Amino acid sequence: MVSTSTELIIHLMNRAGFGITPDELDACSLMTYEDLVENLLNPSESSHISDDILFRDHVDLHASRSGVPAYWAYRMISTQSPLEEKMSLFWHGIFATGNSKLNNLRTLLNQIEMFRRSGTGKFDDLLIKLSQDPAMLIWLDNQDNLNESINENYGREILELFSMGVGNYTEDDIKECARAFTGWSVANSEYMSLMAQKDSIWPYGRIVWHYDFKPGIHDVDNKEFLGEAGPFNGDDVIRIICNQEATARFIARHMYNFFVADEVPVPQWKDTPPKDPAAIDTLVEAYFKYEHDIKSVLRVLLTSDFFKESRYQKIKSPVELVIGTLRLSGEYNDDSKVDSSIFGVIAESDYMGQALCNPPSVEGWHTGEEWISSGALVDRVNFASQHIGNPDNDGVKHILNRIHADLKNDTHTIGELIESCGNSVGITRVSGDTADGVLDLFTQEEVQTNGQDTDIAIEDDTILRVLEFMVSSREYQLC
Amino acid sequence: MKTVKTIGINSNQPVGRGFNFPYDIAINDDLGKSRIIYLLNRPNSATRLGTRIQYFTFEEEWIGEFGNPLDDDEAKFTRPVTLDFNSKNQLHVTDEATDEIKIFDSDGNFQRFIKLDSDSHRNSDQFGPAGIAIDSDDFIYVSSRYLNVIQKLTSEGRVVTEWGGAGSGPGEFEMPWGMDVDAQGNLYVADWRNDRIQKFDSEGNLLHIFGESGVAIGQFNRPSSVAVDTNMNIAVADWGNERVQILDEGGSVLNVLEGDATLSKWSHEWLDVNLDEREARNRADLKVLDLPEHLKNSYHEASQTEHKFWGPVSVKFDSDNQLYVTEHSRHRIQVFEPVNLK
Repeated sequence: MVSTSTELIIHLMNRAGFGITPDELDACSLMTYEDLVENLLNPSESSHISDDILFRDHVDLHASRSGVPAYWAYRMISTQSPLEEKMSLFWHGIFATGNSKLNNLRTLLNQIEMFRRSGTGKFDDLLIKLSQDPAMLIWLDNQDNLNESINENYGREILELFSMGVGNYTEDDIKECARAFTGWSVANSEYMSLMAQKDSIWPYGRIVWHYDFKPGIHDVDNKEFLGEAGPFNGDDVIRIICNQEATARFIARHMYNFFVADEVPVPQWKDTPPKDPAAIDTLVEAYFKYEHDIKSVLRVLLTSDFFKESRYQKIKSPVELVIGTLRLSGEYNDDSKVDSSIFGVIAESDYMGQALCNPPSVEGWHTGEEWISSGALVDRVNFASQHIGNPDNDGVKHILNRIHADLKNDTHTIGELIESCGNSVGITRVSGDTADGVLDLFTQEEVQTNGQDTDIAIEDDTILRVLEFMVSSREYQLC
Repeated sequence: MKTVKTIGINSNQPVGRGFNFPYDIAINDDLGKSRIIYLLNRPNSATRLGTRIQYFTFEEEWIGEFGNPLDDDEAKFTRPVTLDFNSKNQLHVTDEATDEIKIFDSDGNFQRFIKLDSDSHRNSDQFGPAGIAIDSDDFIYVSSRYLNVIQKLTSEGRVVTEWGGAGSGPGEFEMPWGMDVDAQGNLYVADWRNDRIQKFDSEGNLLHIFGESGVAIGQFNRPSSVAVDTNMNIAVADWGNERVQILDEGGSVLNVLEGDATLSKWSHEWLDVNLDEREARNRADLKVLDLPEHLKNSYHEASQTEHKFWGPVSVKFDSDNQLYVTEHSRHRIQVFEPVNLK
């Protein structure tokens, strides 16, 4: 039986990262839980696969014409700072921006890089950067938001989906908010939005966008917003938004949903109380105590009892499942493993319901049980068993060697093999159903079994079959 | 150095006119007619669809294409890198995935290939031919990205000599890429991951090392290509710094080019039939450089404007010493006047 601290480490790395390999677990086991959390929050260096190698081998990634999900996947698989990527994924799901409308993946990648830089800073600063992010501005039509003729799209969504949630503001607040963001636009907005609409690459490829404030179309008049009055601009509006308790609750619930336990989809939050109101209160308190600093709220969350006790209460998102599996299998994780097959591999996440850079709407993805349909489940199981069942993958070879080393004798019980294989793929509590399934596997192959105490020869093929079964199990779908 | 013209237009089609992530060019001045440019496209890493060589005149008259993976024959490419002509107007193309140099006539007809052998080496089971340069006696120099060596071959593919090895010391390489031979038969190698150019004589004796890692003038960030004109001026595609540096024979920097693209003939033709984009474009300022702080570096400046180099991967001189800079991420060639032309 593994120790509690090992279980906690695996739990932490599942949620704040993309799982953990056996070697990483060994290294983490030498640290206290608190130090581990600090290392995640304050990584010493963002080490990952090299851009120059990627761009030399996949030259089309240089301009990010296509393949940004693959580029991001390389980063998520190879990073030594997994929380940085996890937070980028977190904000990508909330501030959901899709290339289906932008037709400018490099600009969208700049947004993701902004999440990487600013995703754990002060929420006010993040919202300002988001409101000046050219991908977001075009996504929600703010280039058409003029003092003479406002476009409410961004003003509405920043309140409804990005900060406060439905029911905490009025329709008038939306209009006043939109007025404050008039003139927040992109350079050459007419030409850039036309190229986006027409999906034009002519004459010389896509031109990436940058923020441009246009004072001539900004509404400088007085505004009344959430009970305050003044000649507000976007910065003022964001300051007011970030001081609202509704904002703290909304962000706290998102963080709970992403890191702790699956909640109902966002549209139901207005009518459905949080799963753990006390946990939300704790996070709200931290939000104000630490002056809206997301990293501080994360620290409170990751060291809380409600987090530590939430094991197996989340269904892995497709990206978490795909990236976690590839980190385990040891594919695409260093400069020598750059390979064009990654484009097809990351597309598997699309088939499971999560296409990076193309969320289904501005509302982002619905999470939890909504990840699981019969088709998606088959894809998830096939994907994991295919990659973990391939002994040519370096990570799998390493797992095989470790299991052989752990189980020093040639013969062990099926129960010992199940436990060792489970631990190797991050499953610390193998269910009775899964264990019975392994026994059935052996029975089908005409091995005489008498329960988990039956002795069995420890050979590569045997280990691989059990590993494949483990990553096909219900436990592996959860984290 | 003033710009002479810009050639090309982007196209995302797997066949036909227009460039898609061009990777290198070869210039043929010796066909008794107009100057012809052969351009290698390497788009779409996922499918390789559209990988091919297109050829056209300096005046942008389209001629044809070959080597497309859609053509299921031995001419097709997998991961081609660079190209050069020999004295018989035979185009040689390296393919680092298949360890081959494919050889075509000037009409694009496949003739034969040279298979590069890595058997004698222990550190890789692949040769990975990247750069190629052919001297006036038709000896072929090829750089190996995996073995980190330079091989000198006869025109039939027999190895004459080999030098190098992995490392950052003098004469060693880390993933070498583009090469050129000067009028005296010396070889220049873009030692890509060592951020320098190394110059050798024809037997592989090291003569000079130019540059070091960095962004300052005279420093390089992943130089991908090098070319030498008849006056011994050296052009370096300073790929990671999104610029081209021109050095004299001794290595002093004469000029730094960041690009100054104009509209090509094909671009004009396209805009003439897409009036909405032409008019919106005319009202835009595509040279704007008032960027937010986090975008103030060469990559982002190149991506946010249109005239600057973006991915200047290849440099070549023609017989008049005009310089051709091929940019993979802007899908075009910028042509410049000869160095020192007043």
